[in-house]
Amino acid sequence: MTAANIPRLTRGCRLSEDPGQGWVLLIPEGVLRLSGPGPRILRLCDGAHTFGDIVLALGAEFAGSDVALVEAETAAFLDRLIARHVVVLE
Amino acid sequence: MRPQALIAEITHRCPLHCVYCSNPLAMQPRGGEMPAGVWTRVFREAAELGVLHVHLTGGEPVLRPDLEEFVRGARAANLYVNLITSGIGLTEQKLDALIDAGLDHLQLSFQDAEEEPANEFAGARAHARKLALAEVVRARQIGFTLNAVVHRQNLDRLDAIVAMAERLGVDRLEIANVQYYGWAIENREKLMPTRRQLDACVAAVQAHQQRLQGRMRIDFVPPDYYARYPKACMGGWGRSLMVVDPAGFVLPCHAAGVIPGLTFDNVQAHPLRWIWEESAAFQRFRGEDWMPEPCRSCDRRHEDFGGCRCQALLLTGNASATDPVCSLSPDRKLVDAVIERANATSVNAPNWVYRIDPA
Repeated sequence: MTAANIPRLTRGCRLSEDPGQGWVLLIPEGVLRLSGPGPRILRLCDGAHTFGDIVLALGAEFAGSDVALVEAETAAFLDRLIARHVVVLE
Repeated sequence: MRPQALIAEITHRCPLHCVYCSNPLAMQPRGGEMPAGVWTRVFREAAELGVLHVHLTGGEPVLRPDLEEFVRGARAANLYVNLITSGIGLTEQKLDALIDAGLDHLQLSFQDAEEEPANEFAGARAHARKLALAEVVRARQIGFTLNAVVHRQNLDRLDAIVAMAERLGVDRLEIANVQYYGWAIENREKLMPTRRQLDACVAAVQAHQQRLQGRMRIDFVPPDYYARYPKACMGGWGRSLMVVDPAGFVLPCHAAGVIPGLTFDNVQAHPLRWIWEESAAFQRFRGEDWMPEPCRSCDRRHEDFGGCRCQALLLTGNASATDPVCSLSPDRKLVDAVIERANATSVNAPNWVYRIDPA
């Protein structure tokens, strides 16, 4: 994953709020439950933001956080979703 | 206990006559189909129960002229809306209206990668029309799954089926071996794969999954007669899924109507919550109290929930028996006999039993 990559949700995957249970990602045959910054990251996977933009936005939001760590964890999160074809890189 | 998905069989009518159709042999007639308004209420009640997905299926759901209303009602209830279709009758204009109404995903069924056998299995000239529709769907921003049903007569063309899915640019390919219920059991001898076919298929699917990782997801449903342990049918009876038939009867599984002594309650007479939580049909095989040995003391009972009740009935005559697919079942020999026959005989020019249409 490089800063210029643009991750976006695969067609047919949609963020939704599960009342009383938090945010979920609805995918064609199931549901992925999201925690921590997961929903925030996926809201930015809209085809308009680069991976670099997303890391910057998260870093600004979680002030005092280690940028390298934010970058590594965000990349790991997205890589898992890419392997499931829930996120694609443009 | 919270249901995750509602399978809405909104009509049993279908322009196709697939030789392995999963609809019950006794179908609901057109006259008994519920209006879209009642379905909209059912979707709302389902969402209140915790359901997140609705699968609009049939028969062929596109035969309902009010399909748009179903999609709009389900989306208004904040459900993820999947349309499971043969594509027949789905014009570009209708598709766009469904997308405007909030359709999230479309699953298009294919019977083969080659036109002649595809039309033979479907009992209709459908293949070319499906190919044309697939291009229209792919140009839209909705999720797109190609579902290919595989069996003895087409497993040797698995690579061609995967290539077709790649060419059509789908997001997801579901390769589903025929499950032997409904009409499929009428054609079982002609559909049951050989062990050689199955081994080749499993290896090929794995190779394609690896090659396409990140580009196209491939989900695989193996033929359970060849398995050592049964499948967790419907994710366990009354655990995560429910089926509502065209007339509003709610079933724990598509095929549950074959089980003698079960009566199904109707959404027009009872709240969906009561049917899910308390009705006799949903309680019948929920949990572990109904289980015989070897399930009762087996560690796998939390994984497979005793397997499939309909399969137990169809093969042993007893819906409460351990799924005979299980290698620990005293009835496994019934399944082995079917497999042995499949591997010892050849099937040329099958004489199919085609699914008929309801009244």
